[in-house]
Amino acid sequence: MTRVLPLLKKFQDRDMFLFFPFTGAAPQREPPYGDFAFNLRASYGQETAGLVDNFVAVGRRRIAVFYQADAYGRSGWAGVRKALARHGEQIVGEATYRRGAKFTSVMRDQVNILKAANPEAVVCIGSYAACAAFARDAVDLDLNVPLANLSFVGSENMLKLLSEGRDDAERYTQRLVNSQVVPSYEDDSIPAVREYREFMARYNPEVPAELVTEEYTPFPHSFVSLEGFLDAKLMVEILRRLGDNPTRKGLEEAVFTIRDFDLGIGERASFGPDRRQGLQGVYYTVVDQGRFISLTDWQGRFANVGA
Amino acid sequence: MSAPDQDVPDIKVKKLFRKTTFGVFMLFGVIGLSTSILNVYTVDTHLSEEYISNSKGIAKTIADASVDILLNRDLAALQSLIDQFLEIQGIRYIYITNESGEFIAHTFVPGIPEEILQSDPLSTETAERTLTGLGDFVEVGSPILAGVAGTVHVGMDRGLIALKIQRAIGQQMWLFVVVGAIGVVAAIWLVNLAAKPMAGLMAYAVSLAKDDEPANPELLDRDDEVGHLARLFRHFASRQSTGGQ
Repeated sequence: MTRVLPLLKKFQDRDMFLFFPFTGAAPQREPPYGDFAFNLRASYGQETAGLVDNFVAVGRRRIAVFYQADAYGRSGWAGVRKALARHGEQIVGEATYRRGAKFTSVMRDQVNILKAANPEAVVCIGSYAACAAFARDAVDLDLNVPLANLSFVGSENMLKLLSEGRDDAERYTQRLVNSQVVPSYEDDSIPAVREYREFMARYNPEVPAELVTEEYTPFPHSFVSLEGFLDAKLMVEILRRLGDNPTRKGLEEAVFTIRDFDLGIGERASFGPDRRQGLQGVYYTVVDQGRFISLTDWQGRFANVGA
Repeated sequence: MSAPDQDVPDIKVKKLFRKTTFGVFMLFGVIGLSTSILNVYTVDTHLSEEYISNSKGIAKTIADASVDILLNRDLAALQSLIDQFLEIQGIRYIYITNESGEFIAHTFVPGIPEEILQSDPLSTETAERTLTGLGDFVEVGSPILAGVAGTVHVGMDRGLIALKIQRAIGQQMWLFVVVGAIGVVAAIWLVNLAAKPMAGLMAYAVSLAKDDEPANPELLDRDDEVGHLARLFRHFASRQSTGGQ
């Protein structure tokens, strides 16, 4: 991303744009590169703000951060800091890990650092393997607080690591609360989810063999997959609006005609010269009976955690 | 009149030359030791100064670049900036504090060391730090926008400086050992070369004293000090045998 955005700026006279990147990072949402990208999903900043607001709303004001020691982690850390500042609070503790950490990595030092800060919730900004390792060690070391993760984490992979081969998987997953930028793919009451599941069942898309470099078994459904489905659905609509003779020059204008477009998830997508992110919604999920479901009652879910 | 055998000592010149060889060894030792001490001091001083100077330059570069990022971009860009500098050899950590002393970007894993948290975050004085579990460091600071926007701190690994000193000294010592060994061998060879005619002269003098057949008579033909001494010994011996006439 950090390489693509400067290239788009360099060749801006060619009307090339980055569409719907699978990231909530800030660079493609703000100057000097914001005008060269269109985002559909909410940003990491919106996710962290939503998590903090919900924690504060249920009385959990002492929030710590576990994050990847790089720009991505710092972006999330800054989001938590900014959200807490709105409530007159500060980050009570922080711990980091190096990018590339595996589930086999030991995160006990990080857990002990955060335990010393006595937090009431921890927001994790990292990869699924590192966050799963942290969650495992947090449970083992009795850091008994909600552990929040962003959409970046890859919820299904994280759940798989924490559950696979365990009889007591619930012990390791009951404190998780993961923010998502699309609704739960388990919720059949949502039209886009029904459509997504139907299409997935009908077409059963597989990864092209030439792209598979290592053993890979995709999940039948996932949040990332649903996000990609919505991205594709909107892209098709944009291309349709470009007409029979599509040109690059007309691309941006075609995107700006998307106003209150119903993707089938409840929230309608809109774009404009000053609005280059179509959706703003953030959804929260928790693990129940081995799968992620929508979280609606924060108080009820976490009332007894850390009590 | 011939002297009795027991009056003629079996003198060997090796003792004299052994002392000379020992002296050469000692000389090399003294030179090597003093050179090494001076070298350790010089390399340590120069490398430390160089590292501190480089660190200050890096800290100032980050501080200058941070102004724009702090005012116009997000903290992720600032983190990217310091992560790039962390790849420079010797730099082990970087942290940036804002004007109120809050840590807004850093490279510590798994967390900011307690020693750093307890220090003055706005100080730009060069400081030597020992961080538990990490090692010894020289830390330099540079103010961002004259300090009103915060401070950049760069920690250089003192262990790396020590390693470089060891390498520099090690290389020098290797060179010295090789040169010393060649020098000692050469000295022994030269001493032996000088000792050979002296030993011959000694044998000649002893044979004269014993009234034996003169050993090494060719020495009398030499046109150097050994030849002069041989002829002098023969002169004294002949005077003694003729009763001093």
